[in-house]
Amino acid sequence: MNTTKTRRGAAPDAPQKASAFSMVRTALSQTSGLTFAALIIMVIYFSFMEPGKFNTISNFDLLAQNLSILIVLSVGATFVIATSGIDLSIPAAVVLGEVFATKALGWFTVGEGTAVDVTDSETKLSYILVALLAALAAGLIVGVLNGVIIAYMHVPPLLATLGTLGSGLGAANLLQDGTNTGTSALSPVTSGEMIPGLSNIILIAALTVIVGWVALRLSVFGRYTLAIGSNEEAARRVGIKVERHLIKVYVLAALASSFGGFLSVSYFGTTALSGHTTDNMQAITAVALGGTSVFGGVATMLGTLMGALIPSLLKNGFIIMGVGAYWQDVAIGFVLVLTVWFDQMRRKARTKQ
Amino acid sequence: MKYTKVGSTAVVAMAVLALAACGGSSSGGSSSGTKKMTLMVGVTGDPFYVSMECGAQEAAKAAGVELNVQGPKEFNPVQQNPMLDGVRAAKPDALLVAPNDVTASAKPLKNIQDDGTKVVLVDTIVKDEKIGVSRIASDNKKGGEKAAEALKELGLTKGKVMAISTDPGVSSVDARVEGFKAKAQELGFEVLETQYSHNEVSIANKVVAAALQANPDLVGVFATNLYTAQGVAKGVSNAKKNGAVKVVGFDAGPDQIKQLQAGEVDALIAQQPYEIGKQGIEQALAALDGKSVTQNIQTDATIVTKANMASPEVAKYLYKKEC
Repeated sequence: MNTTKTRRGAAPDAPQKASAFSMVRTALSQTSGLTFAALIIMVIYFSFMEPGKFNTISNFDLLAQNLSILIVLSVGATFVIATSGIDLSIPAAVVLGEVFATKALGWFTVGEGTAVDVTDSETKLSYILVALLAALAAGLIVGVLNGVIIAYMHVPPLLATLGTLGSGLGAANLLQDGTNTGTSALSPVTSGEMIPGLSNIILIAALTVIVGWVALRLSVFGRYTLAIGSNEEAARRVGIKVERHLIKVYVLAALASSFGGFLSVSYFGTTALSGHTTDNMQAITAVALGGTSVFGGVATMLGTLMGALIPSLLKNGFIIMGVGAYWQDVAIGFVLVLTVWFDQMRRKARTKQ
Repeated sequence: MKYTKVGSTAVVAMAVLALAACGGSSSGGSSSGTKKMTLMVGVTGDPFYVSMECGAQEAAKAAGVELNVQGPKEFNPVQQNPMLDGVRAAKPDALLVAPNDVTASAKPLKNIQDDGTKVVLVDTIVKDEKIGVSRIASDNKKGGEKAAEALKELGLTKGKVMAISTDPGVSSVDARVEGFKAKAQELGFEVLETQYSHNEVSIANKVVAAALQANPDLVGVFATNLYTAQGVAKGVSNAKKNGAVKVVGFDAGPDQIKQLQAGEVDALIAQQPYEIGKQGIEQALAALDGKSVTQNIQTDATIVTKANMASPEVAKYLYKKEC
């Protein structure tokens, strides 16, 4: 189509002639070398302090498994933040995804009960697929609501998504009558190993990051997203249908969240109505820590991955070292602020040059 | 330029990590003789679990065990499970744990147990009965019975009484209600239908107001947890029934004690978290030393009233904010 030109013009950091070397360099500068350095330092530090405990395959494996759902949510949040928006409704989409998925399992009659009660060996692909579609439907509802309220009703994203957060969690509690549903029907999704030795949940998270990276870096969708975040008015003038695109972005984010909810039911074997209240802050932290600008226009998927990794890695290391629970929070908060602060200074220095 | 920046990040990051390490118990030392145990409470900062920690610390000290205490900020398996995986990597000799979910907590605990760590379940449990060498918790049914006895101790002999609980299907409070109803009947009270507050002060308030309208001769209410008791107390005082309706609350943390002192509730049923923590360590030690382990231990409950709360036998069961 004829969008090639506008795309180039609109996206401020569209890679020009990309050699392999410059691509690596761009990737590293975008993901903020400092965040990466901080990550490496932490790994070395904990490996040195707790040899044979921290730096074991099984620990890294579990660390990755526990991170996977957050990573899926953060990939969605990266797009929203790239438009200079914010999505506080992540917990609502996650929990509604969980609830819809388990409700859908209830549609199948199996023996005396329903598919909710089957064991993980009795489950069928059809149950899983229907549960997945139901979860995504929840995300679609939340995402369209967010998008319409923000793009057409011009309610600031912070307040719009705060509203859908409350309503969504309320609706989930209504549907569940305030109690959680346990099920093992979905557990093969995350606990299985399509690649031997690698839990599916890690594979799923990795694929999500790759899809997210491609969508952000290489697709028209990503260019438009960054263009809107960089300068909404300019984006509109070059012919981007801003309102429609914003809806797409919020839908994408909510779909990622409700998919996270689907994974969560699978992984934990139960819905967790009050278990995701801080997911929004964790995802936003991961995105911002990774180097995506909260003012929009600059985004990095690999950075988000690292941003999600740092707090969890610290927490894991501290627990192994036996650091007290409150000290962990103090230290993690400190590291987060420091990392972002150094990154800001580096950016300033670069802009001056 | 670039190197100095990276260098300075490194220095600061190290400083922070070192700072954090200071806050922790000394670890990494190769004192191979001492046993290492971890207590993973249900949620940090809750007086019930703080008291449990105090009991565990005391028993650990007495036995020369190095005890590390961890816990999530919310009672939430999504937060607690990654912490349990961290404990797994640390490979303590024993783990005392209050799992956050009967289903979701099973997987990480099974991993820990399979790695050879002795697991003792304290306060809460998981469905999988293979997990845990010992399970120590309050006898909630007995707690409910004590609540009925408390009404008698407060001078009541007959009349209408009722329980107001949080939600049906929550095992701990269901057992309290069950014990209360059975004992109250046995003591000669007329027990009304149980009502539910959904753990909200305002709903408990409305429920008790309606109950008082329907039964002006109600003499006693057992509120099965803190928020329910707060709502019930408010409802009773709104209806100007203070004194005429006795309210028995559950648990004996600082907030509940305040209610008791203010006369909002007339009696409290204290569980024994300190005892749970202490016995947890003892059972873990027995399992490690190959001695006989008690699979199920149910701890007692104590009636606390304004009159007896100062006496040492009762005061020791009040929950603590810090050890």
